Amino acid sequence: MQAAMAAVPPLIENAQIADPVRRFLEYVLNKREQGNPVVGVYCGYAPVELIRAMGAVPVSLCSASQWTIPAAEAILPANLCPMIKSSFGFIRTNACFFYAASDAVIGETTCDGKKKMFELIAHLKPTFIMDLPQLPDDTEVLDRWRKSVLKLQGFLEKTLQTSLSADRLEAEIRETNRKNRLMDRFFAYLACRPIPVSWREIYDVITLEHVANGDEFQDLIEKISSSIDQRIALGQCFGTFSSPRILVSGCPVGGDACKVLQIIEEAGGVVVAMEACSGMKNYFVRITEESSDPLRAVAESTLSIPCSCMTPNRRRLDLLDKMIARFSPDAVIDVVLHACHAYNVESHKIRKHVQKKHGLPCLKIETDYSKGDIEQIRTRVEALFENLELKK
Amino acid sequence: MRIAGIDIGSRTVKLAVLEDGQLILSRNTMTSYNPLATAQELMGDAVFDVITATGYGRHLIKGHLDCPVISEITAFARGARFFSSDCRSILDIGGQDTKAISLDQEGNLRKFEMNDKCAAGTGRFLEVMATALGFTIEEFSKAGLSAGKAVKINSTCTVFAESEVVSLTAQGAARDEVALGIHKAIVSRSIGLLKKVAVPGEIFFAGGVAYNDCVRVLLEKEMGQPVFVPSDPQIVGAVGAALSSL
Amino acid sequence: MADYTKMWSELGLDLEGHNALLSILGSAYGDIFLSQKNRPEGMKYFDFVMSEVHGLRIQELMEAKAQRRIVVGSYCVFVPEELILAVDGVSVGLCAGAEFNFEGAEEVLPRNTCALIKSAFGFKLGKVCPYLEASDVVVGENTCDGKKKSYEILAPMVKDLYVMDLPQMKTDMGRTFLKEEYRRFMAKLERVSGKKITPESLKMGIEIVNAKRAAVKRLAAIRAADPAPISGLDALLVNQVFFYDDPVRFTHSVNQLCDELEERVKNGIGVSAPETTRVLVSGCPMAVPNWKLPMLIESSNAVIVGEESCVGERGVRWLTESKDGTVEDLLDAITARYFSIDCAVFTPNPSRVEYVKEMAKKLNAQGVIHYSLQFCQPYIVESGPVEKELEHASIPTLRLETDYSQEDAGQLKTRIEAFIERLEKK
Repeated sequence: MQAAMAAVPPLIENAQIADPVRRFLEYVLNKREQGNPVVGVYCGYAPVELIRAMGAVPVSLCSASQWTIPAAEAILPANLCPMIKSSFGFIRTNACFFYAASDAVIGETTCDGKKKMFELIAHLKPTFIMDLPQLPDDTEVLDRWRKSVLKLQGFLEKTLQTSLSADRLEAEIRETNRKNRLMDRFFAYLACRPIPVSWREIYDVITLEHVANGDEFQDLIEKISSSIDQRIALGQCFGTFSSPRILVSGCPVGGDACKVLQIIEEAGGVVVAMEACSGMKNYFVRITEESSDPLRAVAESTLSIPCSCMTPNRRRLDLLDKMIARFSPDAVIDVVLHACHAYNVESHKIRKHVQKKHGLPCLKIETDYSKGDIEQIRTRVEALFENLELKK
Repeated sequence: MRIAGIDIGSRTVKLAVLEDGQLILSRNTMTSYNPLATAQELMGDAVFDVITATGYGRHLIKGHLDCPVISEITAFARGARFFSSDCRSILDIGGQDTKAISLDQEGNLRKFEMNDKCAAGTGRFLEVMATALGFTIEEFSKAGLSAGKAVKINSTCTVFAESEVVSLTAQGAARDEVALGIHKAIVSRSIGLLKKVAVPGEIFFAGGVAYNDCVRVLLEKEMGQPVFVPSDPQIVGAVGAALSSL
Repeated sequence: MADYTKMWSELGLDLEGHNALLSILGSAYGDIFLSQKNRPEGMKYFDFVMSEVHGLRIQELMEAKAQRRIVVGSYCVFVPEELILAVDGVSVGLCAGAEFNFEGAEEVLPRNTCALIKSAFGFKLGKVCPYLEASDVVVGENTCDGKKKSYEILAPMVKDLYVMDLPQMKTDMGRTFLKEEYRRFMAKLERVSGKKITPESLKMGIEIVNAKRAAVKRLAAIRAADPAPISGLDALLVNQVFFYDDPVRFTHSVNQLCDELEERVKNGIGVSAPETTRVLVSGCPMAVPNWKLPMLIESSNAVIVGEESCVGERGVRWLTESKDGTVEDLLDAITARYFSIDCAVFTPNPSRVEYVKEMAKKLNAQGVIHYSLQFCQPYIVESGPVEKELEHASIPTLRLETDYSQEDAGQLKTRIEAFIERLEKK
């Protein structure tokens, strides 16, 4: 299987484009040179269409390295989610270029840890915290969230000395929808058995979206699609027909947390879908076009994100149903970052749902960014795969 | 007047007797399942006028000797000043806990931090790791010092680290390099505590682990501050207790 | 105590587990409370309440229910008792202070969940909390990630779980939102009780609760005296009983206790010697029977003179403006009152540390012990800046993080003693 993978030509030929961090860095530098302000974001609840419509560039801030955690732990409790510690450590050690480059930063009250961490950085940059509703099914909730988005608009207009026109926002809504539809074309390949793309390539394509406009992205997706078609024609794929297909759900899995994906691969499994917001979740969103109130449309789309900070978070179960039907996984691995109470508590529900409704095994992995638990995770993943084998 | 202090720790019991500002008696022994008996045996024929108890077993002995007690944190703060009259930052790594203490100019307790309730990164941790690698404690420290590079150990939890060490050696990692890795892990954990309280200047390093040269050398390097180890780092708490009898 | 077996089994309690709980509770109470020296006479009432906390009080709840009054259980000081009283309901705090049946709780919750949440589940799954079983409505509120998500799991286990959302920022929008949530809660109460909230009933509710809070505030103020006229443990107990007892009777008993304490202060009588080291405890709530930390502190040559906590000052500090007006006006007043609470759920939350300073000064505390329940991120993350700020204001501060287990008692004791020794030097 390893040999087969090595033989597969890369999906994106240009090495310059293929390194996501460099690509992103250059993109931001270029934009800045062209005079576009930069807005740092930590979460999908910050509406990127609004930011882009003001001529600013939304950038995700660094949050996924073990390396910055010791610096954070001098101030934050050790017993906190690694993503929050890493984010804070990046800022504290001046190691996040994107934060340094940001003209404004948007935080949100998605979880206790982040919420309280923002208090420690809010004085460093113009920072806006969005008070997020937690009952998504409440009747008044959309009106309230729209007001938050409107307040954000006011903050950005003031901080960036710019203004928002409804037309620009409408155009950005169309752009997002277009890119999300294009992304869906790519996601369609993940349903193939055996699968013609690796988890790294899924991430590559996702990061490409961040640095491309609709036209550029269309071009990229077409090229990528034809590469994949060629792979399929040549029988080049990852794993075999019987490799365990895994849907990875839960907390964002990026940077040093990718060890979990790596372990799945090394144990002979293939990742066929990534539900988390670092993965595919946000691309299933469609924003209402040509509404009389594009701001409301944007608010509605972000509010529909099925994050565990919502209670109850029924939409995540619905999303999992759709993803399971479409990508036919053999098992679900629910990744919980250490001390993330929201995903951790919800995991119980996810497991019950996945087992009862779909008859699939669900393995919860609680981990952080360190390497200390790699062998333990490996043992558990291998045991899961062995069990799948027995059931066949 | 002869003043005495007894420090009943989790691994060892220490007795100090002072007279006219001089340490005239210093004894220690391993703690047994019966710390009270051990303490009484240790005191044996020692002659003193007053005694103060400190350490984990302090309240136990209080009922039997009818003596005052002080916490080991205060005891270390006072004891450190006996050996180093102007020290401000103290690190004590004992059998089952690690304390980082800072003092003000006058020697009063300013801030302190302690490890969590488990024995991660303490003297006991080093003992278990040395055994896992087939070293004596002395060999263990030498091995760490002689290693050219370190194998990274991620856990300072005694239980997890032991299995990590076993799997590393099974993978063929060099014993010396693992030893250095373990020493680095304990030092980085101690620094985590120390940085929360320490002030610039010399660090007074006490407790049984201060005998370990590898830990001392790494500590000096990582903190970038000189580290001072008294002649008998284990007796510091007992001396501090004795001084508080005055 | 009378025989309540019939009532308990009718409530569906697990009698064996419940007996075990009561016997542990009874002996702990004896060791911790009854063994204290120089206790005020007025504490006898609270001893009685505690001895009947699962007996007579539950019988009262059952009698109230028989008269078609609803029982509303809750876990948080953001749930306005005023509204519950306005539909002639009974408001009770639910059990969440003991390490009971954590094995059961950990079957549905992660191990690293805060002890308070695990305890609530332990009680429910072990069927030993008569308050929970007697509740017609259980109110959950989104104060923290752990509680918010756990309520989803609790929902199918209780008769009627009602979730209240809370703002997390003190903005105008936040205030408006809180009011809307209270309005929604009012409608819920009206629906369940079949009674309409009127300006009169709401005003009466406000006045009863104000009187209750005022009595406890009075108690808090008396504790500024040296020697301390009442132990921190006993004062905490009063604050805990606050959540269970009949409000009018409670108010009367607290005021009686205060009369006695004022007399003590006049005569210089205290529970400990004059100039005993005085500490203020700040942070997470301590629900019955979580007496671990105060016991460790007060057995270390110190006396606790205040609790900056939901079970304590944060729960009683603000009164609701009582005025004549429409339900809408009164709802505004209630919203204003609850929106003032400086819980760590809010971001940012700067007024809290300011008030800790003020309390330390008012009560002549020499130091502050900041207490966080393990895994409670809002308070733990806040504790760092709070400590820094207090130390900066020359108020020595010790941060402790613990749970309901006894295994860290030795470690905590060492830290507390060292801290008290630090304060004594001053």
